[in-house]
Amino acid sequence: MSTTVEAMGQRVGAMSAAELSSRPDSRATVGDVTVANPRMVCREVDVWYGSKQAIKGVSLDIGKNEVVSMIGPSGCGKSTFLRCLNRMNDTIDGCRVEGSIQLDGQDIYDKGLDPVPLRAQVGMVFQKPNPFPKSIYENVAYGPRIHGLTNNKAELDALVEASLRKAGLWNEVKDRLDQPGTGLSGGQQQRLCIARTIAVSPEVILMDEPCSALDPIATAIVEELIDELRANYSIAIVTHSMQQAARVSQRTAYFHMGDLIEVGETNEIFTNPRHKLTEDYITGRFG
Amino acid sequence: MVETAPLKPTADPTSGHTVSRYDRELAKLRGIILRMGEHVIEQTQAAVAALVDGDESQAFRVLDREPQIDYLSLDADEEVFRVIARRQPTAVDLRIVLALSKIAGDVERAGDKTARIARQALELRQMEKPAEPLTEAMREAFRRLDEKACCMFERGIEAVATFDVTQSLTIFEDEPALYAASHEARQQLGEQNPPDLIPRQTICLLTSAHALERIGNHAANIAEQVIYVALGQDIRYRNREILIETLRHRGY
Repeated sequence: MSTTVEAMGQRVGAMSAAELSSRPDSRATVGDVTVANPRMVCREVDVWYGSKQAIKGVSLDIGKNEVVSMIGPSGCGKSTFLRCLNRMNDTIDGCRVEGSIQLDGQDIYDKGLDPVPLRAQVGMVFQKPNPFPKSIYENVAYGPRIHGLTNNKAELDALVEASLRKAGLWNEVKDRLDQPGTGLSGGQQQRLCIARTIAVSPEVILMDEPCSALDPIATAIVEELIDELRANYSIAIVTHSMQQAARVSQRTAYFHMGDLIEVGETNEIFTNPRHKLTEDYITGRFG
Repeated sequence: MVETAPLKPTADPTSGHTVSRYDRELAKLRGIILRMGEHVIEQTQAAVAALVDGDESQAFRVLDREPQIDYLSLDADEEVFRVIARRQPTAVDLRIVLALSKIAGDVERAGDKTARIARQALELRQMEKPAEPLTEAMREAFRRLDEKACCMFERGIEAVATFDVTQSLTIFEDEPALYAASHEARQQLGEQNPPDLIPRQTICLLTSAHALERIGNHAANIAEQVIYVALGQDIRYRNREILIETLRHRGY
């Protein structure tokens, strides 16, 4: 009997976590920030813009073959955190990053590490599609060429085709590869940017609101693509769309005023979040 | 520093949305169910009065009014569809909508039971004899069962009004008393059966006792859904004694 009561107690322990918890320590994230099979490991990451702290002691793993969505109100630090993952913040004057971010066990902020190849390993897709003012072919071929990933034209052609196929764009553009990338529709341009990212063989793809400029059909195509890309890459996506986070990701992280408030299985976060701030945000009570 | 969040859910989890219309839509859905619940309580009392006191007018009134509960149930379903389609509820909102949908089903079925009791009350006295089919002891047993079932159902509806865990636990605590009252009513029927009570009349009384017990069961189902909303845990099919003990231990 006592065993049964104990088991029930444990279940009720989960129940009490399900209650809207207090958070006495602002750095204590609710939920497990680790994964069994991490590709990137971030620990106690702080980011300052001058004297203003934008990220406060955030720890989070990004696992292999998973999509992690980062949600939160504007100014909560989710995009800042995303940009830390491939040192995009290095280009911002006065930005300082502390803590540890590792990619496959290597510190990406190591002074001896060149950020250019890092940004090939950890690619970024932006909010607004930003193809180069070049042909569709050149948009995809540019990265492999400057990183010296192919030995000859035939290899480059094959890589361009493979990248466009993975981005689900090949059939739509194979007969007009020499035409400008900027001539494509918004959704096609975004997939072209994804093809461009894939072409340099990244391990991680970062996406900063990749569908916010797209219509619902183009959004659905990109979301389907994200699901397919998960088989080969780790993906971290920042989105303002709750439904998109719920649809595309396996884990969700909720940011608030620079803190990582809660992280967990997407199904749990959207049905039974453990922190009141998370619940208030995803149910539209954040004010 | 992030401000410390409150330990318990706010008193009314249907409120506080940035879009205030969302609050009103959830309040409307809950309001429909509360109205259904009030009807069921009135109907139960009237149906038992018809059964125990032989007041046929009460029985006809119950049968006339029963469709009102069905129509409200349709309104509740429609509101559930609307909220899901318009708001895509998540977290506590999703639990509220799913729970209220299930509660509407329970309340509607409890309404069906009141009509069943009213029909038994009419049939019971349509037989030629005996002149009075219930002994005084049987009447008392039915009144006790009615009181227990009605009390549980009333508290279930009150718990829906505030999603009150403590109130829900009192319903679970009353379940043994409900079963005891139901058992007593059936036992009275067996032991003190008037000699000329015909089998059909016995069936009418047994059916009524069973229907009252089921109204109490529906109250317990409602309480389960209230706890699901408030705590985010599905506690159906869990051992009641352990559940009550652990939740009481936690201050509910």
